[in-house]
Amino acid sequence: MWESQSAMDSLTSAVRSNIIPNQEYLLQGSILDVYVEVLLHRLRGLCDNVDSGPESFNDHELCFTLRGSNTSPQMAIPLRVRRALDVQDAPWQLRYVGQHELGGRNRPTLVRSSLDVACSNTIVEFLTELGCRIDFEYIARGYMFRKGRMKITVSKIFKMVANKPGESVEPISQSYLVELSVLAPSGQNAIAEDMRIFAEQLKPLVELEKIDYKRLIHVP
Amino acid sequence: MQQREEKQLESALESIILRVNDLKSSIAAMIFKVENEYDTMNWPTFLDNYALLSGHLTSLSKILSHDKCPPLRNLTILPLMLSPERDEQLAQVTEHRVSTFAHDIVPDYLRTKLEPMAETKMNQLEHKAASLTYDNAQKQVAAYQKVVSHIWDIVSKSREEWEVESSSRGNAQQNSNVADTDMLVAAVSMGKGLKMVGNPNGQPGPTGCMVPPPGRPGSGPGPMPPSTQPMTMNKAPSAIKTNIKSATQIHPYSR
Amino acid sequence: MGVTILQQFPIENRTGPATIELLTKRISALGAVQQGHFLVDCETYSSVANLGPPRTVHVLHNSEQPASCFSILDTGTKTIPLAADGLFDLLMLKMNYFYQAKKQTKAESKGPRFEIGDFCVKLGTVTVSQNFKGILVEVEYRPCVVPGMCWELIREFMQGVLGSSVQSNPPPYLATRMQENYTPIDTIHQYLEHFTMFRKSPGMRT
Repeated sequence: MWESQSAMDSLTSAVRSNIIPNQEYLLQGSILDVYVEVLLHRLRGLCDNVDSGPESFNDHELCFTLRGSNTSPQMAIPLRVRRALDVQDAPWQLRYVGQHELGGRNRPTLVRSSLDVACSNTIVEFLTELGCRIDFEYIARGYMFRKGRMKITVSKIFKMVANKPGESVEPISQSYLVELSVLAPSGQNAIAEDMRIFAEQLKPLVELEKIDYKRLIHVP
Repeated sequence: MQQREEKQLESALESIILRVNDLKSSIAAMIFKVENEYDTMNWPTFLDNYALLSGHLTSLSKILSHDKCPPLRNLTILPLMLSPERDEQLAQVTEHRVSTFAHDIVPDYLRTKLEPMAETKMNQLEHKAASLTYDNAQKQVAAYQKVVSHIWDIVSKSREEWEVESSSRGNAQQNSNVADTDMLVAAVSMGKGLKMVGNPNGQPGPTGCMVPPPGRPGSGPGPMPPSTQPMTMNKAPSAIKTNIKSATQIHPYSR
Repeated sequence: MGVTILQQFPIENRTGPATIELLTKRISALGAVQQGHFLVDCETYSSVANLGPPRTVHVLHNSEQPASCFSILDTGTKTIPLAADGLFDLLMLKMNYFYQAKKQTKAESKGPRFEIGDFCVKLGTVTVSQNFKGILVEVEYRPCVVPGMCWELIREFMQGVLGSSVQSNPPPYLATRMQENYTPIDTIHQYLEHFTMFRKSPGMRT
């Protein structure tokens, strides 16, 4: 009789029919500052948003974890908040990023579960009061490109020296971080192949790879 | 003997026709693409098509220069009968491009000599060359050779430079740095090197890194940071190292 | 989006459906036209012991904002509202280990939705874990977003439909925000206040 279905019911059916983009396919790499112009030029030629030019961004990312007093690290929930420093009215982005799976040799990209939720600017206070602790934060400035469903970001990562974004920031390396990613419902592995082909076109300027995070624990 | 030559000619013609047809169909395919798929076609596909064309051209010229290929220029074609009537068979063979084998078009299609205008021009030049004195001709040739060899020098010199440069770039892989990649990925994924440097308390606190009140901090995004200041960059690694050490020793969240 | 006032309508000795029918008749007589149904629901999660001081997260949906999910975090000393995409529900499920849904507390208000001129009226039957609890009437005046500028008008309209049960003062939640711009989260706050009261009240006959 009721026309209105509860929000939870429709969400459950969306989950069941597997239309919720909850998997992130990811390739990462970097390029030295001096060559970034060459890369941007190449991306401008390869990507969709040719007419409008690349979209620049200046974001502040805060990384939280939700964990109890005696919970094991595996149970802790990582949550990230990202906000645009250059567009004041844009919604804030809340993001859950799960464990990444490297997969076998024949899987071209890293895959990790991911949930992206746009939200109001009360999110930081909300998370803090929820029991989340901030782990670290950084500023990412750079350019975003699109190619079909693929997203390519070229970003400079800064650490915040004083605790306020925008005041005094310090680049953490002499390279730009380059990321190629797609957010898709699970099981759409064909997109990974598209990403591999796209990554091929950026060689030898940038080597986009599946990066094994376990190896990074030992990075100095 | 003659029979063998004929056979050779036949097979050569056959393979030439085959190649020409290949070339023709790929040109047609490319024209079709440019006309009908111009809004979806991307640069790599276009280049692929182009590569296909040049491949066909190369194989065609290989066949023509092959030593098994009989010297085609020694052969003659004699039009035996011209007719203003429409020739269905001819039309079919030529895909309706040529429908009659008539006197007005045959000279164009079967011409082996130069165009009359070009021919008179050639004659004039040849006449002029023949009337030159030997010394004069020698002088001109020498001058010309000098110019050519000079240009040759310039070209080969720059080619050398270019090759050296590109090979050195290819070997050194200076576009990106694996250590930088690892460091950047470790930073954004695990916070390596980002955990609260310069906080006077030394410990991250939930209030220490709060978001500032709304309102744009100073300038907008501004231009992208140019090459980073060498001063801070030289210092950065050591600061990061010590910070990680302290972060692992006293973990802020374990109680 | 305008200003919304939510209030309980006493059912006296009628049943729930009879009360809805009565109100439907009254409002249809004024010329209101039914435009579908509405649904507001609320699920409440509480923190587990090892997360420190107890906290509660209320997650609400309103069919008027179908792509959104509203949360109100109650720490005991303050409340923090959050408006988010519908996917926030999935995130709540991820936090299952730390925040668990309270059993037997799922509250809903649903029923017919009417439009009459600049007003939108919703007659909601409230249930808490399927048990009938009462009737909530929502009246929205759509051309205006500042409560202070249209409260008198809304009150007069409500008194015309609901009679003497209408208070002469705005609901306490709105009273402190009369000059601010009204947003969807304010409606959510009002629903949560009523749901909380209904959860405490004993069951009603249907």
